[in-house]
Amino acid sequence: MTAFYYWEQHPDGPFATLINVATSYCHPETDYDAYDALKRRAKRESDPEMDVFKSELRAAIQDPSQLPGNELSRNVQYDDGSPEAFLRRLWRDLYGDEPVEA
Amino acid sequence: MLDARGTAEISRAEVIRHETRIPSEVWADQRQQVESPWDRHRRYDAPRAELRDFRPEPAGLPATSPEDAARHVKEHRDERPWLTAVDKACPEASRIIASADAGDGHAHIRHEGWVTEERLMRRAAYLEDPAQLDPVKRANGIDGLSVNDRRHFCADMATRIADPDAFATAFARGIEHPKVRAAIDRPFDPEARAEISIPIADILGTDGYKYCTGWQLESVAGDQDAARANRKSWALAKAADRQPEVPEPRTSPVPTFEGGTISYVVSPKQSADGYEVKSMYPNPRDEGAR
Repeated sequence: MTAFYYWEQHPDGPFATLINVATSYCHPETDYDAYDALKRRAKRESDPEMDVFKSELRAAIQDPSQLPGNELSRNVQYDDGSPEAFLRRLWRDLYGDEPVEA
Repeated sequence: MLDARGTAEISRAEVIRHETRIPSEVWADQRQQVESPWDRHRRYDAPRAELRDFRPEPAGLPATSPEDAARHVKEHRDERPWLTAVDKACPEASRIIASADAGDGHAHIRHEGWVTEERLMRRAAYLEDPAQLDPVKRANGIDGLSVNDRRHFCADMATRIADPDAFATAFARGIEHPKVRAAIDRPFDPEARAEISIPIADILGTDGYKYCTGWQLESVAGDQDAARANRKSWALAKAADRQPEVPEPRTSPVPTFEGGTISYVVSPKQSADGYEVKSMYPNPRDEGAR
């Protein structure tokens, strides 16, 4: 299958939801309101995809070595310098002071 | 030497006399042509009857007749210079580009052939937005389409579909593709977004990749994360008139788009009553894909 995005290549792969959601809202080609839209989604009480996203974000922060190759970087195109810095920023912006540890 | 249409022999002196590009544009075009399969004189054979049937409304765009399109281009081409793309397009493709310009998307502004190779290269290297029409703001990395002089942000690759007829075909066919249609037709949620990729060959045919070009930010010691972070640091320093503490970013042409894909970025319309394709751009083959 010719596909560009990680979650298209590996729909059931590890961290597929994290990489999909982060790409859709943080990639430079998305719209200017997208990052704020993600913050609003993170505040929703019922959003099953965001529940999976949060769980995978938590796991990725706790052990970034579990992320598949360079897929987070290749798909999301953040400019924070490292996956750890990007993930920490994302957590802080979406969940504030809430501890990463569940 | 052949003329621009490839039909008549012309002398070197005639080429120079008719050259409208500045030297840096010629250099970028030449480098791209040498290092990739792109030929700036090759024209895409557009499926004109198919493009004639394109309906903007299912794409979340206002209805646009050929007359509406011609009027839109005539009225706005000075302040929206990306509309000059229609000068090289067939009438059916012109209508699609004018339709896209009536929407909120930026695909035709940053990823079509009006963006020169040089502009594309400078976007990938220095975060200069081709949509920014003020040259000082562009050099300072200010985004051309956002409000409040926000800084421009770019992936480590800047790409385009260089031919306007190929671009319009990719736009029209992509919007009809079931994967993109599913994203546009789903129940409206103002916070929903989607990015979808479709093989270039499925959209533009087996030679479609030859109409795509791009520039890739070179990695720093094999690290693309470091390359993007350094580029941001370099651009911020230049904008503040400070000496950058990192090396100047370097780019090179994407060697080929053969086996690549086209991304369709679907977002809510500003009118918040449905979705549209906000961006569309080609990607080279993902070498890591299995």
